[in-house]
Amino acid sequence: MTTPAAAQRPFLSVNNLSVAFPTEDGLVRAVDGVSFSVEKGQTLAVVGESGSGKSVTAQAIMGLINRKSAKITGEIWLDDQELVRLPASDVQALRGDQMAMIFQDPMSSLHPFYRIGDQIIEAVQVHRNVSKKQARRETIDMLRRVGIPAVERRVDDYPHQLSGGMRQRVMIAMALINSPSLLIADEPTTALDVTVQAQIMELIASIQDEFKITVILITHDLGVVADVADEVAVMYGGRVVERAPTSVLYLKPEMPYTLGLLSSIPRMDKEMDRLDPIPGNPPSPINLPAGCVFQPRCFYWSQVPDDLCKTTRPELLSTGPDHLVRCHLAPDVRREITAKVLSELAGVPS
Amino acid sequence: MILLLFLLTVAVFLLFSILPGDPARLTCGKSCTPDIIEANRHRLGLDKPPLEQYEAFIGGIFFGREFSEDSPQPVICNAPCLGYSYNRHAQVLGLIVNAFPVTFWLATGAFILWITTGISLGILAALTHGRWPDRLVMTLSLIGYSLPAFFIGLVLMFFVIIKWRWLPFPSYVSPFDNLGQFLQTMLLPWIVLAVLYTAFYMRLTRNQVLETFGEDYVRTARAKGLPERTVVVKHALRAGLAPIVTAAGLDLAGLLGGAIISENIFSLPGLGSLSLNAVTDSDLPLLAGITLCTATFIIVANLVVDLLYAVIDPRVRLGS
Amino acid sequence: MASMGTRRVLTAGMAAAMLVTACGGATTTPSPAAPSASTGAPSSAPAASTSASTSTAPSASTAASTPPTGGTLYLLTNAQQFDQVDPQRAYTGEDMAFFNGTIYRSLEQFTFSSDFSTAAKLTPDLATDTGTATDGGKTWAFTLRDGATFQDGSPVTCADVKYGISRTFATDVINQGPTYAIQYLDIPTDPKDGSSMYKGPYKGTGQDLYDKAVTCSPDNKTITFHLNQPLGDWNYATTLGMSPVPKAADTGETYGQPGHLAVSSGPYMVDSYQTGNGGKMVLVRNPKWNASSDPYHHAYVDKWEVDFGLDPKVIDQRLIQSSGNDEFAMDYPAVQPENLSIVFKDASTPNDQFVGRALSGMDVYARYLWIDTTKIPNVKIRQAMAVALDRSAMRKNLGGDFYGDYADGLIKPTVGLDYAPTNLWTSLLGQPIPDNGDAAFAKTLIQQSGVAAPSLTYDFPNTPTNAKNAALVQSSLQAVGFTIKLNPIEPGKYYSVVFGAGAHEFGPAGWGADWPNASTVIPPLLTKKGGWDLSRVDDAAFNAKVAAALAETDRTKQSADWQALNVEAVQNMWIIPTFFGLTQRLAGDKVGGVYLWGPYSSWPYGDMYVKQ
Repeated sequence: MTTPAAAQRPFLSVNNLSVAFPTEDGLVRAVDGVSFSVEKGQTLAVVGESGSGKSVTAQAIMGLINRKSAKITGEIWLDDQELVRLPASDVQALRGDQMAMIFQDPMSSLHPFYRIGDQIIEAVQVHRNVSKKQARRETIDMLRRVGIPAVERRVDDYPHQLSGGMRQRVMIAMALINSPSLLIADEPTTALDVTVQAQIMELIASIQDEFKITVILITHDLGVVADVADEVAVMYGGRVVERAPTSVLYLKPEMPYTLGLLSSIPRMDKEMDRLDPIPGNPPSPINLPAGCVFQPRCFYWSQVPDDLCKTTRPELLSTGPDHLVRCHLAPDVRREITAKVLSELAGVPS
Repeated sequence: MILLLFLLTVAVFLLFSILPGDPARLTCGKSCTPDIIEANRHRLGLDKPPLEQYEAFIGGIFFGREFSEDSPQPVICNAPCLGYSYNRHAQVLGLIVNAFPVTFWLATGAFILWITTGISLGILAALTHGRWPDRLVMTLSLIGYSLPAFFIGLVLMFFVIIKWRWLPFPSYVSPFDNLGQFLQTMLLPWIVLAVLYTAFYMRLTRNQVLETFGEDYVRTARAKGLPERTVVVKHALRAGLAPIVTAAGLDLAGLLGGAIISENIFSLPGLGSLSLNAVTDSDLPLLAGITLCTATFIIVANLVVDLLYAVIDPRVRLGS
Repeated sequence: MASMGTRRVLTAGMAAAMLVTACGGATTTPSPAAPSASTGAPSSAPAASTSASTSTAPSASTAASTPPTGGTLYLLTNAQQFDQVDPQRAYTGEDMAFFNGTIYRSLEQFTFSSDFSTAAKLTPDLATDTGTATDGGKTWAFTLRDGATFQDGSPVTCADVKYGISRTFATDVINQGPTYAIQYLDIPTDPKDGSSMYKGPYKGTGQDLYDKAVTCSPDNKTITFHLNQPLGDWNYATTLGMSPVPKAADTGETYGQPGHLAVSSGPYMVDSYQTGNGGKMVLVRNPKWNASSDPYHHAYVDKWEVDFGLDPKVIDQRLIQSSGNDEFAMDYPAVQPENLSIVFKDASTPNDQFVGRALSGMDVYARYLWIDTTKIPNVKIRQAMAVALDRSAMRKNLGGDFYGDYADGLIKPTVGLDYAPTNLWTSLLGQPIPDNGDAAFAKTLIQQSGVAAPSLTYDFPNTPTNAKNAALVQSSLQAVGFTIKLNPIEPGKYYSVVFGAGAHEFGPAGWGADWPNASTVIPPLLTKKGGWDLSRVDDAAFNAKVAAALAETDRTKQSADWQALNVEAVQNMWIIPTFFGLTQRLAGDKVGGVYLWGPYSSWPYGDMYVKQ
């Protein structure tokens, strides 16, 4: 394989990434041929239900998947380094330094036995040769920056002494302490109260502005994406099923699954009788359907001739500028469906 | 704690008062006539009402008491007096105090052995989860678990002492008197006792550590870019081993109450032998004394473990 | 002679120990007399025959040459301690044999000999002779030897012997020991509860009564006992629990225990005593012992060491190996069943390498089935029961050859002079009776009885071996027409049940003579006032003959009396004799004087030495 020149590549690019776990029940293909890229300073939202492979993708980028227990193929380019083939120790050196991650549950993501300050200082000292004093000073600054009140006192608290929101701020401070160029936020607000959710999202947005870092936001909630993300990749059954700039995705989604997700967003701006969750369950990653993995839950597969949806996996194909869709439905049929569903959502009778 | 100990004395006293079998008759011997039984009953203080007996028992603990007042030299049992064994013609406390060092050495030696081997092999298994060292350790654990102590003891004794004559027949001495003989005597009992516990602690450690490997904070530690060694030692093991402290503390306390099987196989004069013999001799005062002591160990051990746990886990210390 | 109390009964501990010994397991009580005698369970009753394979001990001390002196002998025991060291409280055969052979002197002792009859004879120890009976056997006098001393050098006087015996009366302190002094000394009893009016030296109540019953001559040399009835063998009773104790050293309850070591009058004294696993009792020579005052104790060795708390299997292994100090060691419990085949060719012959140091011989117990003669008055029915009994199956169940020989009566060969074959199983009933029973003959006896074979209930202590035996009793008796119900009884309560109103028709029991005179067998078991009359025999003619035998002072004539009474008992089938128990012992290869000593079925401690 030839290595493209660095200048031609996006800051982060994931090419044909697959992650499979051998288990007693069979091979679990958690991620299957995922590709996307993010430019420097941009925010990519990866959206999908649990089990869609979005978190596994994020952990694969971070190198958090044990290479002994999983089969990882494809490429992950961060800047000019390919991470899948990079020795584990080199990936470790990047982790927490060039790329950082915050997790869904701030309650359990901090070690209960250690003071929060010490946990951040540890992150500083593992990557940079600075004195403990210096590391502590930086830690306090960063904690103050992420909005922890009375930092001098809080820095020596244990995690259980803080609220959930405060703990997520600590996690964010820990992620940012080494000025990473990539921040992966895996469902950073899911475990938090609604009011706190907004604060944390605001914090992430403001940090991105300030530090000019690239962000991958992993979420199941398309609703939180709108204000933050530049581009959205929708994942289903371990694959990207639709990818588009945020505005395009909201206004002109073409994949029935994306439509389903949009229908299930509670909206503050209008009265709604009901949410439209997508009926059915995500597919088992062990026994994927032979055709389109979304077919069993799709309302529209019968509109495709020859049972194509049941027999053949659709490809991720371009349908517009920067807009990729994985669907057997003809483009005009898709657009017609979208228009109909969106107008229903908007309350316009069809 | 004090209340607990008090309730314990009541329970022990009641238990041994209502047990079937008449101690006066049991200690009466062959040439037993009703008047001799009566004399015995009086001698044992059993002709007094239960409350008075209990008062005497508790009074003995705090102020001491006298037994066999009709004897030319009454048996003076100074506080804390746990009673007097008429079977053994000795004060219960003295018997326990004599037997305790043996059990102490047995228990602590075995404890060190099983804690070190059990935890290190358990960690090894966890780190090699699913691969052959893990399978080997788990198989050993299963074998160790399923072998009864008396079986291991007798087999070891037969081969090591009788057949191959690598070690002399066990004969307990204090380590301060003859360290060599002490070690020769204690080696097999330590091993026998440790085998069962090692099997248990290997499994416990492995499962605890594996469980913490799945914890979010371990993933966080990795995400920080910490070297795997730091992740395992500082983050995973520290949390994973904390519950083992509890188990270890209570197991050690339980053992300090006597390891009945090992002590008897190897003729060690510890609390285990003492209690077994107390049972076979129906020596109720001794049995009550040992029970009280053992239960006290366990209560104290519980307290120590709680305190220790608070040191390890700030959530316990500071409240959550 | 007539003895009222319970003697060396086969106790719960003993029954357990014996049965376990016979069929495989560890004994926890090494000694025949476990402390829980009064709650004892009997042995199961096995079979009987006349194959009295008397102890074939390699007689060691019969050689003319004097055994060498010096060295140390070791006793290996699984006991944690001696039940009692106090001379007035020890009542375990092996313990009494050991103490009497080493640290205690007594007025009279049994003779050292591998021959049961010789061993059953008295040898004067503290006394100059075997005692003088006057007043038809109601008064006995013994004169003390000159030069006998305690370990502090003070002379053993009549007062010391008298004081020692007086301690037995302090039943609230000095318990568990022999009580012949209480039964036979001429001291009034309290009509309320039958207890002696003398309450022992500590309380002092009734001291004047005791001082009248036991008197010392002015020179403090002659002790005279005044008895409440004529006793031809009171001198035998003095071997049991009547050793001297110096009053100044008596600590009562704790006497003899660690911290209050017993004061020796014999050739050895207690140097140290620690109980428990790993504990030891060490006896060293008593420097004040005066050999010229003591023709009884040989005192060959310099030192004795008793090692407590050893696993019985370990003891066997050590003695089988016999290396190091174990060359000089001997077992205190019996050989474990699983090792018998290593040591013995058969029940009486050791394997070649163990010749001279392994013994299989009779213990002191005779086992039998009692039959309540008030419930089964018909002698033919009782005989039919005995004839139908499959004794060989029972013996096999109990451990086979090593368990015991078929018994032919209540008097065991260990009793010595008084034993003679009764021919019960060969000719006494008119024809030989095979070990596995004779159903046809039993049915004939039932026909002759003139009554139908009754329905009977068999009481037995509910242990596995006894339960299996009960089934054997049931099947062999039902085969000839009896209906047998089984009544299992909690082992610890067996004797109190079968002595009480809850007893049924028959059940197992065991008995050992206290001293080698059938006066400690026939009267207690077969007379109403004997105290152990499980068969409820109360036959006026028989009672008269017993009284005559007891009063008989000619020992040869007395023996003939007992032999005849023994035959009469089995002919009437008041009891069905089953087994004469055996015991197997092992010593290291340098232990000399290895033979089974009849009186206690023990090692002959006072006659043992270290081989050169």
